[in-house]
Parts: sequence; C-alpha cells; structure tokens
Amino acid sequence: MKSIIVSTVIGITVVALAGCANKTVVSYGDATAVETTDINFGSTDLQKVATQMTESLILSPVVGTLTADTRPIVFVERIKNKTSEHIDTESITDSISTKLLRSGKFRFVDMGRVAAVREQLNYQQNGGMVNPSKAIAFGKQVGAQYMLYGNLASIVKSTKDKTDVYYKFTMRLMDLESGLVEWADETEIRKTRETARVGW
Amino acid sequence: MLQAIRSIFLFVVVIFMLTGCASMTFGDLFAGYAQQMQSVTIPAANGRFDQALQQVTEREISDTNYVLTLLEKGRLTHLAGDHNASKTYFNQASIYIVQQKLKAKLQLSQGVQNIGAMLSNDNAITYAVPDYEQSMLHSYQALNYLYLGNHEAALVEIRKANLVQRAALENNVDEINGAIASLLGDAELGWQSVSAKYPEMAEVIGEVKNGFQNAYTFYLSAVLYEASGELNDAYIDYKKALAIYPNNRSLQNDVLTMANKLGMTADLAQFEQRFGQYTQVDIENEGQIVVLYDEGLVKGRDEILLRLPVDTSQDEMRFYSLALPVYQESHQLSYCAQLSLNNKTLDFSQIVAVEALAAQTLKSQLPSLITRQVIRLITKEKMRKKLSKEAGDVGNILANLYNFASERADTRSWLTLPQSSNIVRSHLTPGKHRLSFTVGGMNKQIDVEIKASRITLVNITSMGNYIDYKTVNL
Repeated sequence: MKSIIVSTVIGITVVALAGCANKTVVSYGDATAVETTDINFGSTDLQKVATQMTESLILSPVVGTLTADTRPIVFVERIKNKTSEHIDTESITDSISTKLLRSGKFRFVDMGRVAAVREQLNYQQNGGMVNPSKAIAFGKQVGAQYMLYGNLASIVKSTKDKTDVYYKFTMRLMDLESGLVEWADETEIRKTRETARVGW
Repeated sequence: MLQAIRSIFLFVVVIFMLTGCASMTFGDLFAGYAQQMQSVTIPAANGRFDQALQQVTEREISDTNYVLTLLEKGRLTHLAGDHNASKTYFNQASIYIVQQKLKAKLQLSQGVQNIGAMLSNDNAITYAVPDYEQSMLHSYQALNYLYLGNHEAALVEIRKANLVQRAALENNVDEINGAIASLLGDAELGWQSVSAKYPEMAEVIGEVKNGFQNAYTFYLSAVLYEASGELNDAYIDYKKALAIYPNNRSLQNDVLTMANKLGMTADLAQFEQRFGQYTQVDIENEGQIVVLYDEGLVKGRDEILLRLPVDTSQDEMRFYSLALPVYQESHQLSYCAQLSLNNKTLDFSQIVAVEALAAQTLKSQLPSLITRQVIRLITKEKMRKKLSKEAGDVGNILANLYNFASERADTRSWLTLPQSSNIVRSHLTPGKHRLSFTVGGMNKQIDVEIKASRITLVNITSMGNYIDYKTVNL
C-alpha cells in the first residue's frame, strides 16, 4: 500500500516537473519570414504595410508626374495609433520613409531631429570653437513641400473560441502649399486565432 | 499514529504536487487572502503606500495568486506617484491575463489544479481576474500614461478596457444562466439549502445589474475621447455610463451637451424629455475641469461558515461546514464630498461603487463555487473515512483537524482598489485657480491651471486622514 502511494507521488512529481521544464534554444531566422507567434501586430504586418504603401505611392500616376523632373521634399508627420494595442508607429513611418528614399524619387526632412540640429547649429554659431567662416548659418534649410501622414485603426472581436483582428492602415500625401491630398491608399490585414482544444 | 501522520504529510505533499506548475504558498492553504493582506491594507488605508508596498508578499509567476500581487503593487505604486513602476506592474498583469485567456479550452493543468483544490480549497486554483478588475486595471494604466505625457497610449488602454467590457457583455450572460441550470438539474448538491442560508448581499450590491459594466471606465474613456476631439466616441461612452448611473446629474448634462454639439436632434429631444430642458451656456474660450475623486479602499471578502446537513450512507444526519466568501453589509462611512470654486459649491456624484461590482461578480460565481465546495466536502469526508479505517481514532482526529483547517473560503480580490469613485465637472475661465475640496471635516486646497477650450483632469484620492491630488491637462 505504502509503496503504491510513494510511487504515485514520485510519478506525479516527475510529470509535474517535466511539465514545467523547458529548454532554451537560440537560433537565427529569416527577418522577412512570416511570423505568427501571436495575433498582435507583428513584424510581418509591419513589413506588409510598409511595402504595399511605398509601392502604391511610387507607382501612382499622380506621384509619377510630381517626381518627373524634380525630387519633392517630404516630411513624415506621424501615424496615429487608433488600435487597442501599443504599437510603435514610428517604426512603420521609418520603414516607409527609408524605402521611399531608397527609390530616389523623394527627399525627406526629419522633424524628429529638429532640436538636435538646433543645438548643433547653436554650438557652431555661438560655441566659440568652430571657425565662424565655416560654421553653418541658421535659416538655410529648405522646407518640406509635402506631408505624409496616416492612421492605423483596428477592429477586434473575440469569443471564447476565436479572436479576429482587422487592421486598416491609411496613408495620405498632402501638398502643403495647396492643401490638396495628392495621394491616398489603404492596406487591410485580417488575422484570426482559434483557441486550442486541449493543452497543458 | 506514525502512519496517520505520514499519510497526512503525504497528502499535503500530494496537494502541492497536484497543483502542478502552479504553486500555492503554505499560508494560502490555511489562511484566506483578505486575512493575509491586512498588513498591506491597514497602512494603505492611512495613506502610507510605501510601507504597504513593502508588505506585499512576493510571489513566483507560477503562484496561483501571482497576478493579484502585480495588481496590488501596480495600484500602490500608482497611489505613491511612481507611475513608471506602476505602468510596468500593470503591463505585466495585463500580459498575464491575456496569456491566461489564450490558454486551451480544456487545460490539463487546470484539471490537476481542480483535484488539488478538491483536497484543499479554492486558493489552489489560479486566480482569474474578474472583468471589473480588468477594466479598472486598464483605467489606471491609462491614467499612468496620461501622467507620463503619452496621450495616445492612454487612449490605447481605454480601448483595451472597452474591449474587456464588450467581451464580458457577450460572454457572461450565457455562462451564468448555464451554470445555474446545470446546478438546478443536480438537486442532490443542495443548492436550495445553501442558497437559503447564504446572505443576500442586496445592500452591498444596490442597483448594480451586473459585475462587469463599469461606469468609471466608460466615463474616463468619454472624457479622453472628448479631449482628443473624437466627439462621437465620447458621446457613445457618456451614454453607456449614463445607462449604468441614470440619475447622475453630471452625466445627464454631459450627454445633453454632447448630443447638442453633435447635432443629434432626435436624441436630444428624447433626453430632454427625461432630464429636462438643455440650456446651452456660453462657453466661448472657457476651459473645463473634470474631477475624479477616489474614496477609501474597497472592502475584502469575508468568510462565512454554513452548517449543512448531509445524509451519509448509514442513514445518519451529519453536519458539515461549508466555508463561502461573502460581502458583509458595509459599515464603512461614506462622507459627502464637496468642491468649492469661485464661491459656488459643487456636489460629487458617484460613478462607481467597486464593492457593488465585486459583490455582483461573486454572486454570479456562486453556483460553480458551491458545486465545487460540495464536491470537496464529499472528497474530504471520504478521505476522513479512509484514514479512520487505516489509522483508527488518531487518523480520524487528524483528518478532521486537517479538514477543518483547510476549509477556507476563496477571499481573493484586488484589495487596493478604491471603495468608490465620484465625479464633478465645471467650466472655468483660463488661468490659475485655487479650488477647495472638503470631505468629512477635512479640507484640501487644489491648484489647477485651466487652458482655453481644454479639459483639465484632477484626480483626488482620500483615505483616512490622507488626501492628495494629481492634475493633468488633456
């Protein structure tokens, strides 16, 4: 009788401990591989959104005429996060502006670094360390002609068995002089997750 | 004698093993959560949050009460003004909750936990954060983000809170009805005899209809939406809050104002019929002040012992005691709070009574709680019989002692939430203002800066002799 109890306890202990144990494995993977770790906004969504938006912008006929003999100067306002997740939308705009710059059709001004630039110019002008004839003067920068901005919204529905997430990413390019929206496009992503029936 | 002790010892070991990857502390087996938390709630109720924070028990992630520790710490650091730390705790808690939700429908570990709980008490089951606590978690997290200057992230938290409330509304109704129906089918379990003896909790619950619709979250959400210019969303959430507190003057006024602003003439006419004529005040260039006043600390669950007659196989009546959690009638005093500004005095109106939500949640859990408790009683009685057969009187006594000591009600709940929250709202001219807040004979001067056509949020907390406030321009 006693031996049965003892062996049961040992058996359960082993099972319990084995259930808790997990091995750590580190490996490298493809940065553009499809990632489906969970249903939240992930790297695949980011890449998909950035690629589709840049392609649409570059291939759009209106933008074709805009960039025919000049490289317009654009500034990225921001992507407003209207989802129910904390998403780094700056990372999306970074990807998009990098791709656009790479295409060679646009030039960008970076509003996120204005304070740093001002500090540097101040140092050059008033620091007393830089040769005044070679110091960069204030008021020589060029202003942006276009503004790129957008929204990321989501609709989440979930029941006990299923969760469905729909993302809609909208982007627009506005001519700052006329206020006209020259280009707009949207990308949709739908993801569903079904709850497993049995698990630990 | 020795054999009996060994059996009991093995038995306790088995309980700890059975809980599998989830663990419970030894204290949880023999003392309720509310009782253990007294060393935290007493200093916290007097505004000594740092001291309270040190008293919160550290728990492993595998502990069944792990998420509760995170919630208590998150709220205490929030109260103490350390919003970065609070953000981290709430974030961890919210990740934990999501992970629990994503788990498989049929969980092996849960089955094992249930067996463990059969032999000990409900504290062996992983704490499932009820919906009202989840919506409060996201509300406080939104406030954390606001104080840290990240308005967009605050709105994300608000949307998360709304998702929780919507999912709760869809899922809960069937669940509660299903549980009661299945219980009534099984008359043996003595649902009638238990429910006849169990207190009604009517006074605690008041007029609250369910335990998951939280007007505080809707209101905070509406104010934030209004501040960010999303008036349609704001209007919807004001209406949802009003549905829960139809007599709240402040909310009535908000709904009327918003309906008027959005040009919802049909709605406006309907609301005017209910609440009286809406008169548009000339508010050109004026700012608004929204005051959220959190009062006291929510009361924990008490434990009651019900004596139940059970027919044994030998046709003799034996009485067994069932330990069940309950919210006793509240003896906490609620003082009338007032805010004076520009020589006029404004009364606060209640937007949430956390205790009522908690009691209503408990009420909806009762059927499954009692089922488990009765099955547990039978299991423990079987164990007692077996021990008394194997080890005679000593085994009998030991088993009885164990059964008595381990029969503990599940008194777990988030205990550092406020007892209630109240609101007041007014227009003010831009510039610096000094307001005076009065509650229960105490007075606090509040300095606010109002900006033209903007909302200034003031969050006042009072506990015992402690009053403090925090302001943020939305």
